[in-house]
Parts: sequence; C-alpha cells; structure tokens
Amino acid sequence: MGGSEPEDTRVKMDEKLFRFMDLLELLEKKRATLNSLIEQGWFSITKARYSMGNKQVSALQYASEMEPLVWVHTRALENDEMQFFTERNTQKSSRESSDELLSVEDIGPQEEGLRRRNKTRKDTIKKKDTEGAKTDKGSEVNSARKKDSNPQQDPLKWFGILVPQPLKQAQSSFKQVIELSAEIAALQSAVVSTRQELRLSLAKGLNSEDTLGNTVKDKCLTDELTVSEQKECNKIISS
Amino acid sequence: MAGRGKLIAVIGDEDTCTGFLLGGIGELNKNRKPNFLVVEKDTSVTEIEETFKSFLARNDIGIILINQFIAEMIRHAIDAHVQSIPAVLEIPSKEHPYDASKDSILRRAKGMFSAEDFR
Repeated sequence: MGGSEPEDTRVKMDEKLFRFMDLLELLEKKRATLNSLIEQGWFSITKARYSMGNKQVSALQYASEMEPLVWVHTRALENDEMQFFTERNTQKSSRESSDELLSVEDIGPQEEGLRRRNKTRKDTIKKKDTEGAKTDKGSEVNSARKKDSNPQQDPLKWFGILVPQPLKQAQSSFKQVIELSAEIAALQSAVVSTRQELRLSLAKGLNSEDTLGNTVKDKCLTDELTVSEQKECNKIISS
Repeated sequence: MAGRGKLIAVIGDEDTCTGFLLGGIGELNKNRKPNFLVVEKDTSVTEIEETFKSFLARNDIGIILINQFIAEMIRHAIDAHVQSIPAVLEIPSKEHPYDASKDSILRRAKGMFSAEDFR
C-alpha cells in the first residue's frame, strides 16, 4: 500500500508531462498560423501601398484620436493559468453598414415626385405624417454623422473613402491575428504554469520517498533515474 | 473602461503597427498615452525600453505584441517580466523571421529537459 503513493505521484507527473507536450505542440501550430497570417497582412499592405502611393499608407495617415474596437478579457484559473478572450465592438460595424445604406438613400432625392423649395409648415406636417419613417431615418443619419466624427470609427477610413481591396484584406488578416494572439497568450500561460507544476511535482515526489524510510539514497544509487532526476536527488541529499 | 476589458499594445515597425491599428487595437487621445509605438531606424533602445516598461506598469493592457528583433534589443527587460499579465507575444518582422529559440517563453520551457533524459 505504501508503494502505491510514489506510483500515483509518477502517474500524475506523467499526465502533466503529456499535457506539457500537447500544449507545446498546439502552441507551435498556432504560432505557425499566426506568422503566416501576419505575412499575408504585410503583403496586402504592400500591394495597397503600391496602388495608392508610398505616403498614402504610412504612419502619417493615422488619426489624431483613436478608440479601440477590440478588447481583451482575462480570467485567472485555479492553477495560476490565465485565459484571454477578445471582444470586438461589432455594434459600430452594424451601425456603419446601416448608415452607409442610409447615406446612399440620402444622396438621392428624399422626396418622391417634385421638390418644393418654398416649403410651408402645413406641407412639412403633412409630409411628416406620410413620410414619418423617412424623417426618422434622416435624424438617424444626422446623429450617425455626428458619431462618425467621433474617433471610434473604422480605421480603414484614415486612408481614404475608397480604399483598394488589398487594404481591406490586410485589415481582415490582422483581425484574425488579434484573435489568435489571445489564444497564444493563453497557451503560453498554460505552458509556463505546467512547467512549474512539473518541477514542483518532481521535487515533491523525491521528497515523499524520503519520508518512507530513506529510500531516496537507495534510488539515487540505481540507474533507473534520469539525469535530471539524479541532479534533483543530489540536491535533496546534500541539503 | 475597466468593464470593457484590457487593451492590446504593439511595439513594432511601421507596417506591423499599421496592420494592428487597422485591426482596431489603437487608442490615442489627449488624456492617455498611446498603446502603440512605431519603431523606426532612429528610435533609441532607451525609448523602446521605457515604452515597454510603461506598458507593463499600466493595468489596462492585457497583451503586448512586439517584433522579435525589437525584443532582442530589450531582452533583459522581457526576461525579467514573469507575471501572467500583460502577456508578451513576440512576432516576426518583415526582415527578421520568427525564431523560436529566441522566444523568452519557449526558452523557459526548453530548460525543462536535456537530451540525455530521453535515452
């Protein structure tokens, strides 16, 4: 029965080791994807710069005020690992798409039929009854235009109203990179914490054998230990 | 601001910063310092290190993305950072591809085993 405790410790250590290896493998895969997406993004930026001009796609185009559109939420787990989640502000994008539609409508004639330049109040009231939805949209467009003047807008607009497709592709690539970055940050945290646990388990496992009748010395004399375990053994014996 | 989560900071060359700002991570207004630094040829190592340390000191930054060749310039500062937040991610640059052997996190994991352990 006493021999089952070190056996359990070894089984747990093996499980942690497998988990550590799995994490490293997953981290390597995600890294490769991240690197290729970043390279894709650079290539798209270069293509956009080629068509728009060198100075049209540079730090000179950055807005003087910016607000972030993506946030990172963190959560601490029990084993000192950190989880990272990204949250993107999609409300503005949906508003912007509806604003674009409204602005397209706004460019055309707002009223059906002939336009009256000299409008009377009665006419405007009648029109409001019949076109209540359109005036509401108009007010929304005005409020949306005010919001557009706010810094929280699509960064693509810094580079002009009509931007080439490569620049949009670059934005899409880097958005994916941002999502992956959160996953890689979580994996890195898991790798570091699992490594810590493995080291502690190794030290504890050898210590627990010592309480069962000085078996550490005997174990150290055998060839069953790996080189790293022998080093740990020597440290414990010397202390 | 606290309820909305943390920011992602970037220290990189112009194209790297442009890309991530297109992705929507940038913050710049009169009251707060920017969460990005465009590193050019004449940017000093001192400025890079100060910016990195300022990002570490801020409690509203969750992840710091940094080109690996820039990270090499301030490797001592990156190795000294052992907290989970903010997480530091080294990314490649156009002229310097990613090298896993230089990554701080992977170097810590590499020290776990030696070749003789697998005999």
